[in-house]
Amino acid sequence: MSDTVNRPTDDPPPSGASWAMVAAAWVLVGIPLLWGIAITFRKAALLFR
Amino acid sequence: MAGLLDKERIIAPPGFNRWLVPPAALAIHLSIGMAYGFSVFWLPLSRLLGKAQGLDGSLACPADLGFVGEVLSTSCDWKISTLGWMYTLFFVFLGSSAAIFGGWLERVGPRRAGVVAAFCWAGGFFISALGIHLHQILLLWAGSGIIGGCGLGLGYISPVSTLIKWFPDRRGMATGMAIMGFGGGALIGSPLADVLMKHFATATTTGVFETFLAMGTLYFIAMLCGAFGYRIPRADWSPPGWTPRASQSAMVTTRHVHVNEATRTPQFWLLWGVLCLNVSAGIGVIGMASPMIQEVFGGRLIGGAGALAELSTEQKAQIATIGAAFAALLSFFNIIGRFGWASLSDLIGRKRTYFIFFLLGTLLYSAAPAAGRSGSIALFAAIFCTILTMYGGGFATIPAYLADMFGTQFVGAIHGRLLTAWSTAGVLGPVLVNYIREYQIRQGVPNAQAYNTTLYILAGLLVAGFLCNLLVRPVAERHFMTDSELAAARTGVKLK
Repeated sequence: MSDTVNRPTDDPPPSGASWAMVAAAWVLVGIPLLWGIAITFRKAALLFR
Repeated sequence: MAGLLDKERIIAPPGFNRWLVPPAALAIHLSIGMAYGFSVFWLPLSRLLGKAQGLDGSLACPADLGFVGEVLSTSCDWKISTLGWMYTLFFVFLGSSAAIFGGWLERVGPRRAGVVAAFCWAGGFFISALGIHLHQILLLWAGSGIIGGCGLGLGYISPVSTLIKWFPDRRGMATGMAIMGFGGGALIGSPLADVLMKHFATATTTGVFETFLAMGTLYFIAMLCGAFGYRIPRADWSPPGWTPRASQSAMVTTRHVHVNEATRTPQFWLLWGVLCLNVSAGIGVIGMASPMIQEVFGGRLIGGAGALAELSTEQKAQIATIGAAFAALLSFFNIIGRFGWASLSDLIGRKRTYFIFFLLGTLLYSAAPAAGRSGSIALFAAIFCTILTMYGGGFATIPAYLADMFGTQFVGAIHGRLLTAWSTAGVLGPVLVNYIREYQIRQGVPNAQAYNTTLYILAGLLVAGFLCNLLVRPVAERHFMTDSELAAARTGVKLK
């Protein structure tokens, strides 16, 4: 994430609050995805039992 | 409401954090990705009336009813093969709607397209719920299959152009993140549907009606959140500190081809072939993965011996569970490949990435029968897991390949038209696999070996894909838009 280097003066860097929103947004989509992956792994483990 | 969805309304202000866009895209792709998981509904849907009458299984239709009679009947249960038509409708309408509405999406912007996709996809669930209530399969086909299929197409392409514009420095990674969601949707949706059906089931109902309503509502909310999270960059925006490399490959243009012009170039049709052949081979494997591992390894899957046909009912049930585990493992590698290969393509280039898919894929498909004969389940599984990463990678890398060849201005619409390759492959792949297998078995080939010829033919498809990729050259100068045409396109003036 190189958004903090060589930034033009007319385009301010993303604020700290925006990074908090990024984290929250990724958690919202990431939790269901990780839940689905965990269930898939549990099922797939049967293959190697 | 209209203003809220306008393209002008979602132009990001200075300082906007571009990393907010991929999760918005993921919210949409994770929702529509449930299309891959619809098979979780087949069994409960095929027992609706049987369960209502206290039977253990389905309430079968009279033998002399015929296909049309079965479709129109409300007094006997649907067959799983009849329900399976939903997949065909998904693929056909996904590709068709993406091709037809891709240009519209570029004009109106991703938010409006995302909202329409949410109405179509969730609306499809609600219409299907009505179909379940009335026991009318035509409503399921029309709801989830046709209207939902249009939602799939629109939802699938809605973030592509936007992400490529936000991440010109990492096009592959950005689209890979979103398209990974489409692969991951079923990983969430299938177990969720299972939980919900168990929760809503009663002594006389399967709970599938309520599950359709609940999932339609959840997906509607998730997709609206995604659509309202979309922001597009200003036309002159580029990542701070990033400038296109002056010495970059001739395979990466900084100019733009109009969507109508793109389809007149050989490059478009070569890439259409690349996608269609890669997907045909991959879909073929997905369709046969579970029965294949059961028939190839038989009793060895549960530490015993003997072919599948020689096993007891209980042993077959154990092996079927392991077959499902194998399919689950493949779906995981499918999503890993979407992100991994697309991100790698940013480093090594799109053409090289597809060369790897086709070369490595050909080798692996050809080696799979030998791996089966060797008796190594781990080796066999590893081969197919790798193949599935490249199947997913093919989907995720193609938008960036298109952007490299045709520029970013119409990449969403061009990608939409290219997705007809997916529709074609969705029909071609399974048909090829099923017919070759049936032919082999009719010729007296044992079940466990009947997959070998199929795998060699799928390897042949990848050789053809390799040749298509080999022939891709930079787009000729005459196809690119002039500056005035580009300016007109950006201000919404319809060209040609």
